[in-house]
Amino acid sequence: MYYLRGEFDLCTGCGACQLACSNRATGGYSPRLARLKVFTEKENLVNRPLVCTQCENPFCMNSCFFDAISQVKETGLVFVDKEKCTGCGNCVAACPDEMIKLDSNKKADKCDMCEGLPEPLCVKYCIPRALKLILKKETGEVVAK
Amino acid sequence: MSVYMGKLLYVDLTSETITDIPLDPQLADYYVGGKGFGAKILYDLLPANCEPLSPQNILMFLPGPLTGTLAPAMRGCVVTKSPLTGTFADSYFGGHFAQEIRFSGYDGFIITGAAPEPSYLWIDDGKVEICSAAEIWGLDTFSTVEKIRVKLGDVSVKTACIGPAGEKMVSFALINCEYNRHAGRAGTGAVMGSKNLKALVLRGSKAVTVADPANFGEAVDQAYLEVDEDETAAGFNTYGTPASIDFANAEQLLPTKNYYNGSFEGAAGLNAEAQSEHFWLRNVACAGCPIACGKVGMIKKGRRKGLITDVVEYETAAMIGSNLGISDVREVAYLVKKCDALGLDGMSAGGVAGFAIEAYQKGIITKDDTGGQELKFGDSASVEYLLDNITSREGLGNLLARGVKFASEEMGKGTDAYAVHIKGLESPAWGPRSVPGMALALATADRGGCHQRAFPILYEVGGEWNGEAVDRDTLKGKGEIVAHLQNYLAALDTLVKCDFAAYSIKDSTYCQMLEAATGNQWNVDKLMQLGERVWNQVKLFNLREGFSRTDDTLPRRFTEEPLPAGPQEGKKITLNDLDQLLDEYYQVRGWGNSGEPSPEKLKELGLDNMPTLVQVPAQYIETD
Repeated sequence: MYYLRGEFDLCTGCGACQLACSNRATGGYSPRLARLKVFTEKENLVNRPLVCTQCENPFCMNSCFFDAISQVKETGLVFVDKEKCTGCGNCVAACPDEMIKLDSNKKADKCDMCEGLPEPLCVKYCIPRALKLILKKETGEVVAK
Repeated sequence: MSVYMGKLLYVDLTSETITDIPLDPQLADYYVGGKGFGAKILYDLLPANCEPLSPQNILMFLPGPLTGTLAPAMRGCVVTKSPLTGTFADSYFGGHFAQEIRFSGYDGFIITGAAPEPSYLWIDDGKVEICSAAEIWGLDTFSTVEKIRVKLGDVSVKTACIGPAGEKMVSFALINCEYNRHAGRAGTGAVMGSKNLKALVLRGSKAVTVADPANFGEAVDQAYLEVDEDETAAGFNTYGTPASIDFANAEQLLPTKNYYNGSFEGAAGLNAEAQSEHFWLRNVACAGCPIACGKVGMIKKGRRKGLITDVVEYETAAMIGSNLGISDVREVAYLVKKCDALGLDGMSAGGVAGFAIEAYQKGIITKDDTGGQELKFGDSASVEYLLDNITSREGLGNLLARGVKFASEEMGKGTDAYAVHIKGLESPAWGPRSVPGMALALATADRGGCHQRAFPILYEVGGEWNGEAVDRDTLKGKGEIVAHLQNYLAALDTLVKCDFAAYSIKDSTYCQMLEAATGNQWNVDKLMQLGERVWNQVKLFNLREGFSRTDDTLPRRFTEEPLPAGPQEGKKITLNDLDQLLDEYYQVRGWGNSGEPSPEKLKELGLDNMPTLVQVPAQYIETD
């Protein structure tokens, strides 16, 4: 079981994660099209990355009326079947972190941890190591990437 | 597909009309972006001898073609005619504002005219509105950003704004590009204030796409690798720019007490270690930057306890620290943040305050001028008084608000002996008396006293040029170094690069990124010619404004007064030295004796028959 973790104490606010993410998701660079966010707080004393953590009890999945969202048991990945998605927006309303939204085709769209790549692109381009891929084991958690 | 968004936004605040100008392909090919666009557009649009604070002046915000992509550490610049110098002015800013211009769908903004009432521009995904700034006029820059976010209900909007100093058109007012990032130099904020323009607020979700994604990805990874493997970048990551305090102090380059000396007994109180001990909490980066030279934190103890502040950059640590005799970095951080809040360029403010304190010491300024306030070096209360006085423009402050050149000319009484400016721009924090190449770089910088157009100190102090050690004191050969560096950096300022990333990323890698992004072929020779073209384009503007060889000079403090005790004791750059430096430099550049580019040089650079590429849109030309 994997999930992404963002750490405010290490984040420099550069937003390279969002650029890499948006380019994979849409074919162009644009932070607002990325599947993660970076907030600025307290006169920039803090940058807080906000990522989809592939919840154990995913509100997005549970709120879907069309079985378009499911979770891979082995990896924990919560993913959208765009064929089944009707664009009703239930999942968008359900996620308190706004980590799922409708894409330009009106289909639900969320972080898929860049499945298949050696490591998620946001982690690859996070030079300060504020974003980490965490592996959850029965014995505890380890940083996988 | 190209990396350009394909249009420039043109706003005339007087007639409150807004239009898009399609990006001329020739402008993109010959000038690329950033400084290149600014050089050509200012030349094309601005009538000769335009008063900088009149509505006719234009204020441009220009990213480069790689800004907003994953190419590391790209920025933007403000270009206008400077109220401080009367020259072309380009002032560069980090942060996230330049990227947002591209995400808004534009390759740059051109703003002219003056709004009848205080206004701000709200550009929401390409929809442009001129809004009333009644609620934010008079606020400092921090409060302005905060109030705009609350009003729009969105913390993700990106703001560029002026503070009270810009509103009052202080000649060295800056434009704040939240947070702690500024188009700081040469008075861009005064021009914005003259247009009654308090802020530009952006929110964009357009995507920047590249011509060749696969090759672009490879070039970006190469650039990331070069930054990762470079010791200089690692130094900026660990210590930020204040690491230079120790270097400059040891080499007697650190401005001290209005440039009286080049080393300061309290330097250890200002350096990276002192800053780290007193307030640093984490590294902070501009958009897409792996270096993260910023070091934000909160002061731990003392009377400034709790103050949130970014790193006190080398330039302001020197200009407001050592140059004013202040050695407690907490006081300097407080004063620099005050400059940021008021919207004053901390570098010029330090230069102006140093001048004022020395004039007070010499009895030219008295308590009658200061309302009883004593002015002395090493005293933050003196500096705080001056910053407030300058911003309010009352009495003495109104004089100092025009910069040291103007103040000295008005005051007379020999004050020009210690008015440290070049072409009106207060000199940066690199005293040049023991480094002739740096002296030449300052004398010939296009916007006046500036260390960022060429920084030959790196070669003069223990460096090599073309495989040979460079002698620090020698005049010969410095002209070639300066011209080369100016051309290279002007080329990269079209992208728009960050100075620090440019230490790590190779010229060929910049070319690879540019080639993959634009789909046009690039190599290092072509890049160097681009830089030379842009440098000459700016020169044509400055010549048209009446600048000539006599303006490529240095303040008397550097030409007449030798450095006092220290490792470089006795050194100065005489006017005769400067003449020799200029002769070689003009020759290398292919310029005549007055600094005018030869017809052959203009032809070589494609500037001999360059047509006007940007025109005032037809609907704005009054036909009555």
